Order: sequence, then C-alpha cells, then structure tokens
Amino acid sequence: MLRLWPLAPRWSSTAPPETLEVFVDDKSVQACADAGVEIPRFCYHERLSIAGNCRMCLVEVEKSPKPIASCAMPVMKGMKIKTDSPMTRKAREGVMEFLLMNHPLDCPICDQGGECDLQDQSMAFGSDRSRFTDMEHGGKRAVEDKNVGPLIKTIMTRCIHCTRCIRFASEIAGVDDLGTTGRGGDMQVGTYVEKMFKSELSGNIIDLCPVGALTSKPYAFTARPWETSNIVVSTRTGEVFRILPRTNEEVNEEWISDATRFAYDGLKRQRLTAPFIVSVPGDKIAGLAGGLVDAEALVALKDYLNRLGSEALCTEEIFPMDGAGTDLRSNYLLNTGIQGVESADLILLTLGAAKNPMVVVGSSALQRGDGTSIHQAVATIAQNARVQSDCGEDWKVLNVLHRVASQVAALDIGYKAGVQCIRENPPSVLYMLGADEGAITRDQLPKDCFVIYQGHHGDRGAAMADVVLPGAAYTEKDATYVNTEGRAQYTKLAVSPPVMAREDWKIIRALSELSGNSLPYDRIQEVRERLYDVSPNLVQYGSAEDANYFKQANELSASIKGKLEDKPLTPTLLNLKDFYMTNSIGRASQTMAKCVKAVQEMD
Amino acid sequence: MASVTQIFRNRCSLLTRNFIRTLADDSRVTQVPVIEEISETHTERDTIIVDKHEQLSPVSGVPEEHVRTRRIRIYMPAKNAMQSGTFGLNKWRMDFDTRERWENPLMGWASTGDPLSNTHLEFNSKDAAVNFCEKNGWECYVDEPKKTAFKVKSYGANFSWNKKTRVSTK
Repeated sequence: MLRLWPLAPRWSSTAPPETLEVFVDDKSVQACADAGVEIPRFCYHERLSIAGNCRMCLVEVEKSPKPIASCAMPVMKGMKIKTDSPMTRKAREGVMEFLLMNHPLDCPICDQGGECDLQDQSMAFGSDRSRFTDMEHGGKRAVEDKNVGPLIKTIMTRCIHCTRCIRFASEIAGVDDLGTTGRGGDMQVGTYVEKMFKSELSGNIIDLCPVGALTSKPYAFTARPWETSNIVVSTRTGEVFRILPRTNEEVNEEWISDATRFAYDGLKRQRLTAPFIVSVPGDKIAGLAGGLVDAEALVALKDYLNRLGSEALCTEEIFPMDGAGTDLRSNYLLNTGIQGVESADLILLTLGAAKNPMVVVGSSALQRGDGTSIHQAVATIAQNARVQSDCGEDWKVLNVLHRVASQVAALDIGYKAGVQCIRENPPSVLYMLGADEGAITRDQLPKDCFVIYQGHHGDRGAAMADVVLPGAAYTEKDATYVNTEGRAQYTKLAVSPPVMAREDWKIIRALSELSGNSLPYDRIQEVRERLYDVSPNLVQYGSAEDANYFKQANELSASIKGKLEDKPLTPTLLNLKDFYMTNSIGRASQTMAKCVKAVQEMD
Repeated sequence: MASVTQIFRNRCSLLTRNFIRTLADDSRVTQVPVIEEISETHTERDTIIVDKHEQLSPVSGVPEEHVRTRRIRIYMPAKNAMQSGTFGLNKWRMDFDTRERWENPLMGWASTGDPLSNTHLEFNSKDAAVNFCEKNGWECYVDEPKKTAFKVKSYGANFSWNKKTRVSTK
C-alpha cells in the first residue's frame, strides 16, 4: 500500500485514492501516475530502461531525510510519498533552474515549442523568477550541432542529457550508435565520430527527446502543433505535415519506422489527380491488387469482377498456394501475435528445451520457386516444436511475417496470391488496383490487353495502363487494413483526396453502375457489412482473430511433392538503402530519396 | 426572500415551477411557505416526464445533411508521442469525420465549409458521449482504449551483468 500526501496536489483535478495497490517492483513514479498524480520527469520513459539522471522526479518520502528520485525507487509497503510538499517543490524548482541555466532561450524559433516537456514543466514546476546573472553571455553552455543524417535535425545546445535517445538506440533500435562524451558541463550526446544514425527506426528519437535537441528535419519550421489538427497525422490546409506514432500496446507500442514517418511528402508528389483514358476494353477480365490497398476496395473489386464472371483475382505478393495454401488462415498469419513475441522464450534458433517456442518466417522467404517446400518445412518444424514443448493448444508456434499492408486482407477475402493465374490465362482486360511493384509487365500480357490502373501514384502500374483512375492514399480515406497478425485496423480520413481522386471502393462502385452490374452498397457502412459477410474478423477492429488448424494444415501440405532448392535463404532487404523505397509513396518521396543517397554516400 | 416568492407566484409556468423545486431543495429557501399554493392541480413534487428517445436534431439547428451523413468516433485520446504528460487523456472525446479543407487564398490559412469537423467535445464517460450522439441523431462508434502492460524495470539492472542493459554506450 502506498499513500500519497497531500491527497489533492494543486495541479490535479481529481483527488487520488488514499491508498493504492501496486505491482511489486513498481516504481514510485509509475505508481503515482496510476493514482492520478503525474510526477514530472525528463529521463524516465515507460518503454526504456531507468537512467535516473535528470533528477526532475525528486519527491519527498516520509522518514527520508533527502528527496528521492521516484523513477528509480520501488514502492514499498506503507510508503508515504509527498508529491506536493514544500521540499518536493523546492527540489523541482532547483532542478529546473539548473536545466534552464544551460538551455537556450530560443523557444520562439524552436520546433519543439508547444509540445515541449521542458517548456511545460518549467511553467508548472519551475520558479517564477530568474537568478541567472550572466547578461554578458560569457559562460552559457553552447554545443556544436551534429549531423546524423537527412531525417534528424540536431540543435545540441538544447540537449539536457536525459539519454533517452541513447537508450532507445541501444535497447529498441539495437544499434549502439549514440553515446555520451565528456563530463559535467562538457558532456555531449552524439555519435563520437560524425556519421549518420543508421537505423530504420531512427525517427523515434525525435518523439523521445523531451526538448528540441532532436527535431524532424523535413518538418523543420513548417507548422506549430496548435495549428495542425489531429496529433497522429498532423494536417493543415488539406496537407499532411507530419506523421506520429499512435500508442498501441498490442501492435507498435509507440514506435514507427522511418518509412512510415517521413514518406508523407510522397503523398503530395507524383499523384494521379484525373482519370485518363487511352483505348477501349475487351472482355476477359482479371484483377491484380498491390500492397497498399484497403479491404473495402479489395472486396468491391472482387464483387465487381465476380459479377462480370471472372474469378481471376490475385495479389502482387507471392505466397505458396499448394496444400491447404491460403485456405487456412493459420498458414499465413503471425499467429503468436506481436505482443506474444515478448512472452516467447525461444524464437526459432534451436528448439530443444523451449516452453513457448515461436517460429517466424518472412513472407519474402516463401516467394522463391521452392516457396511451398519452405513453408512445408517451416510448418513441420513448428508442429514438432509444439509437440516437444508441450505448450498446449493456446500457444501458436508458426508465424508468417508479411511485408505489405494489404496481403492478409486480400487472402482473407479470397484473392489468389501471386500473378501465376494471370500469366497462365492471359486476360484481355487487366484491372490493376494499386499494383505498382511490377509483378506483371506489359510484355508479359497479350498485345491487345486493356490495362486499367486504379491507384494514387503515377508509378509503375500507371505507366503501363490504358485507363488510369485516381484513387486515394491511406491518409485520405476511411479504410480497413488487416495486419500480419490478422488484426483489423482502420484509418480515418485526415485530408481529402486531391482534385478528382476518390475513395477506391467508390470508384469501383461507380464503374459497376456504369457497366450495368451495380454493386449493392452505397455507403461505407454497407461495404463493411459486406466485409462482415465475407469474414467477420475484417471489421472487428482492434482485435486479432486467432487462427487454428495447424495440424490439419500440416497434414494437407504433406501431400505436396516439392524439393527444397540447394541455395541459402537470403532476405531481399539486406541494406538500409533498400528499406526506404519499398512502395509507390516511398518512391515519390524526396525525403526517402535523400535517405537512400545519404546511406549510399556513407557506405 | 419575500420578493422572490412574489415573482414566482406571478409567473406560474411549468418551467418556473421546476425552478422553484430546485430552490425549495436548497436549504436556504426551504422555509418559503407558499410553494404549495402555486396551482391547485400541481404540487412542488410534480415532475415532467420526457420521452426516453429524446431527439434534439429537429430543433438543434444542425442542417439535416449534417445529421444524416456524419459519423462520429468516440474514443479516449492516446498519449501524444512527443510528450510525457497525460493531461486530458482520461476523458472521452468525440470527433466528427473530416471534410474537405483548403488553403484560403487571402491569408493562406485553413478554410473549410464544414463547421462540425473542427468541433471536439469531451465527456466523462463513454455512455454520456454515446447518449449525446444519439440525442442529436448522429451515428457513432466507440473505440475502446488499449491497456498498457506493466513492465518490470529496475535501476539496479544498469549495473548487473545483463546483456540487454550492459552496453558500451551510456
């Protein structure tokens, strides 16, 4: 039990409970937060290890002569924490004073302004007057800026040495690139020698930085947080200004990759904004879906083509279709779930004595000629591991990690994976829905094949099309996506699609009406009802629908006669430079181009 | 106090009778003896029963187009990834769907033809928000917040022989 005293601190609107049950080993700062009292902090972060070096979270604890750093102090039975006592307040004021003495007064030109922890906490907990007397600017700390690449802008004089970025780099990103040199007033955070911070998660240190020392280079001086609407996709005047992660414990915790965070300038360039027609169509139609397509558009296209008498619908991404193939969801999902990774005690490697084993295979490994055999081998390993480890039916062992957003939804809806069926039965009309990865090229199609491309970017797909229909990008539509775990998630429209571009399912709906095969839905709710009819998990947002039948899937795959090729599995993304341009938005983004260039120059 | 009762006696309508009742419940005015005399057929304990499915949209002044076509998301805001503060995250918020915005050629500011998508309302409970939407005839859906998991951490781990925390950079 923990007692917070006094019960109602001056900045809190609700009185915290008098006593509180907490987890054993919980830190005081977290326990107080659970009780509704926010203790100010700079270095402490829920998802990083404890550093205890900013001293902002000092609190008075009864019977302790000195204030205590609550981020490092475990709660104890009968502990009385005074979160608003004179001693606590004085400690905070003192810490703020030291921090501000070494921090520039450049809030008006600082990009962190308006969402700066230092700004907020100096207002709430700092002193109302200054004792800073160095008016000649003789001794104020100044630090040279570092160049850590095209994404992160550094203004190191603003750094308060909380070391969050260092801990993120080594604990989450897994690169020990950042660190400190020097001591006391000469301490600096940096990369030791000047180099790019080479990580595909690098942008997260911008969010982590509690001051304006690390800010976004592409976003620099473009907007203030109070001008933009929506904190996740910040927009102003119909333009996306930046993208931030949304905290979701089950999926991304609070991190996003650089391709997600910085490719937004690609949403404004190379856009298709008007329909474009070259010639007239034939009649044998096939559909091909790319990697960024939402579930609503997928189901609309499938319904439409089915009405036209065609079953030839496939995805650009390849996935083995033999045996149970994509009929059983367990074959193509990350079954353990992303959060399950943390409870797994063994991931592939050796499977001897694991209790909760987990076998993960990347979807790109299954795209070789012998993909079926690889899948079969992996499934067998997983099934054996399950039997040996005695982990029970609830624990899932086999996992497939997909690399594109649309794949799981497409397979759930009933698309065939891979373009094999189009190659085998050349269509006279090909409907490409956001298919930009060049899985099928113009010369693989019959000469008179009529190609319709619907999508948001003038990329590889639009280049080979006879008709171009401008669609909406993911920030511009209410849409459903299913992630690799099989978890349905939805996006909300942040900005409206440019000029004549429309939401994708609406384009297909309009086409169906023109060709006299009207689809039976007019509103997004009706499309989602249709999705529910196809598979209820597609609209059960936020929850991952478990898949099962591992044993049966494995038995079905046993009938396949295939041989593993005699060459090692090599991932397609080996270099950081290949990471930035993996879809049509990334290829249209100047920021991503700069990243590729910076990595190439460094190598 | 006498003058107050005088006014009430003169303006005896349903509304004021309700008002009197609230005053009568207030300890400062309970002594007023004349309330029973307001009307022969009504007493101070009378209540007005309002239909349960109360619809405000016909009188709220919101154009019908904006009642029929809008979808409202009810959610608890997630913590801003840029800051550690959690103020305002314990409220339920309702957001309208976004309509088109454009840059105003005069000043370069954001313009919109839609007064609702810039509106945010906060409620203490999910039910209050859903109720409000239903009353106004708006279709709404609720996003349940995700729980954060508790992670065991220790300051001492910095100094223990542990591969995860024993790193060259500090």
